[in-house]
Amino acid sequence: MLEYLTAGLLLQLLINGILFGTMYGLAAIGLSLIFGTMHIIFLSQGAVIVLMAYFCYWLFTLLHIDPYISTVILGSAALLLGAGLYQLLFRRAVRMEDKNISLLIAVGLMFLLENLMAVVWTANPRSISTSYTSSSISIGNLDISFTRLMGFVIAILATVGVTLFLKRTLIGKAVRAASEDIEAARLVGISPHRGNTATFAIGIGLSGIAGIAISTTYPFDPYFGFIFSLKAMIALALGGLGSVSGALLGGIILGVLESWAAFFISGGWADAIGYGVFLLVLMFKPEGLFVRSIKKA
Amino acid sequence: MRDMRSIIIALLVALFLALVPLVSDSEKSYLIYFLFLTFCHIVLTQGWNLVAGYTGQISLGTHAFFALGAYTTAMIWRADLFKGANYYFDPITMILSGLVPVVFAFAIGIPLLGKLRGDYFALGTLGFGEILKVAFIKGGHFTGGPIGIMLPSSVYTTMRPHYWMALFLAVLATGVVYFMTRSRIGLALVAIREDETAASSSGIHVLKYKVLAFAISAFLFGACGSLYAYYLFQVSPDGFLILRWTLYPVLMCVIGGSGTVIGPILGSFVMTGVFTAANIYFPTVHPVFSGIIIIVVMLFMPNGIVRLWNREAQRG
Repeated sequence: MLEYLTAGLLLQLLINGILFGTMYGLAAIGLSLIFGTMHIIFLSQGAVIVLMAYFCYWLFTLLHIDPYISTVILGSAALLLGAGLYQLLFRRAVRMEDKNISLLIAVGLMFLLENLMAVVWTANPRSISTSYTSSSISIGNLDISFTRLMGFVIAILATVGVTLFLKRTLIGKAVRAASEDIEAARLVGISPHRGNTATFAIGIGLSGIAGIAISTTYPFDPYFGFIFSLKAMIALALGGLGSVSGALLGGIILGVLESWAAFFISGGWADAIGYGVFLLVLMFKPEGLFVRSIKKA
Repeated sequence: MRDMRSIIIALLVALFLALVPLVSDSEKSYLIYFLFLTFCHIVLTQGWNLVAGYTGQISLGTHAFFALGAYTTAMIWRADLFKGANYYFDPITMILSGLVPVVFAFAIGIPLLGKLRGDYFALGTLGFGEILKVAFIKGGHFTGGPIGIMLPSSVYTTMRPHYWMALFLAVLATGVVYFMTRSRIGLALVAIREDETAASSSGIHVLKYKVLAFAISAFLFGACGSLYAYYLFQVSPDGFLILRWTLYPVLMCVIGGSGTVIGPILGSFVMTGVFTAANIYFPTVHPVFSGIIIIVVMLFMPNGIVRLWNREAQRG
């Protein structure tokens, strides 16, 4: 095996890892926002992403809408869905001391979505193939798939968008304040529900975008989402809670780790290495790799 | 006196349930299978209840210990460890299948419980389960890979031993939770759940008690896994290392009322009934239905069935 190993190959693996890792990162940002403000482990994030991928698939096959155009449609639909989910399912659970409840609601939602998708779209993997699906851009001897690159660009744009929203707008500031210290935020007159609704909308909105990026690049099936949620959790732990860029970086690191592990060891073990790193980070650096100030978990 | 009375009532109910297979046709009746499954759920739910309901440590690794128990049974049987002994419902095999998960519970419990709090512990145990899954799938001949280990199903004669063993384990698990939580250990566990710092400053060795509860639950999960291996005759990652075996007990415990002895039993009966009925009446959409049930129950009765008519029922 080692005779094939060249710098070019390593670089190719690195780029593939980064491109796929941004998908984990997108999901992790949503999780990070939701966990940071409401302490909900939103395990159904992955299922929502796959649901959005299926909607994108429908828009493409039934209405012939280009996936990148449906980013706008599905992105805004996902924002509304997120707000609706919060109001309908999590509004009451957030206030409760017992965190099992919100976790279980998320699990119930995951069950519901996964199996609903299996009924509607069957359990066979689907993928979207457009005229540009197999085209790639060559730089030197590197091949970069066009759709993966687009996914990466969309992910970066979305991250920048969310960061700007959190930093520049009033409601974004309220969300950040609530995630820092909910009691103090209440004292200065921030209504937690508005902030929570906004957070959920953004988190699900991002999963809409991630869903489109995934549907154009990788085959997906209804049960793909759970693994994806777990990977997003790992990315989140790597990046540290409450940091948008940290979550994205965590996702990229995980993507690169998996890409290298899959090549050097074998495909199946790549998952175990991801979780192994996750456990090590949880044990020795629970505040994440990029957070300087130490906050107790 | 009240304690004595509830113990006697519980034993009478168990005795009554033990007589059911003698009356009902154990091969054709769905009732036997339903009760068997319910008892298995009670074992897992009580185990989870001990760690989460009483000690306050949310573990999402039940399926990992369950699978470890099943794999231990299958491997002992396949390797013929005791040279020609009968492995079908062999007590030594079953106890060993409980002890192997206990070893793992110590190995991962001491670092995880010592270092991680709350949600992080939940995620850590989830990670443990996933690592185990990959290890079993990739284990080659040793674990049988994705297909798992087949056991000689020719020894199967009737459902009765499964039923009685499940009932025994359910009574054992309930008894363990009952007596533990009424002892000094139980007080320590509840103190840890309520306020770890305060418990620690009152001289409770927090880590020791957490690991103890975790290890005892692992034994129950492992023994139950062993029993289920005798039922399925195929121990595979798809049958045992699936999140179902973690989520159902969590759900049943919370629905019944976590941190109580009777809650997990009620929850197991009710939810096994609901899932079984859904499976019979809406076979294709049954998991969708289960998802809706979980959400609705969590929204409208998050404190469990037990606390519905007994508002002031205390935790612990």
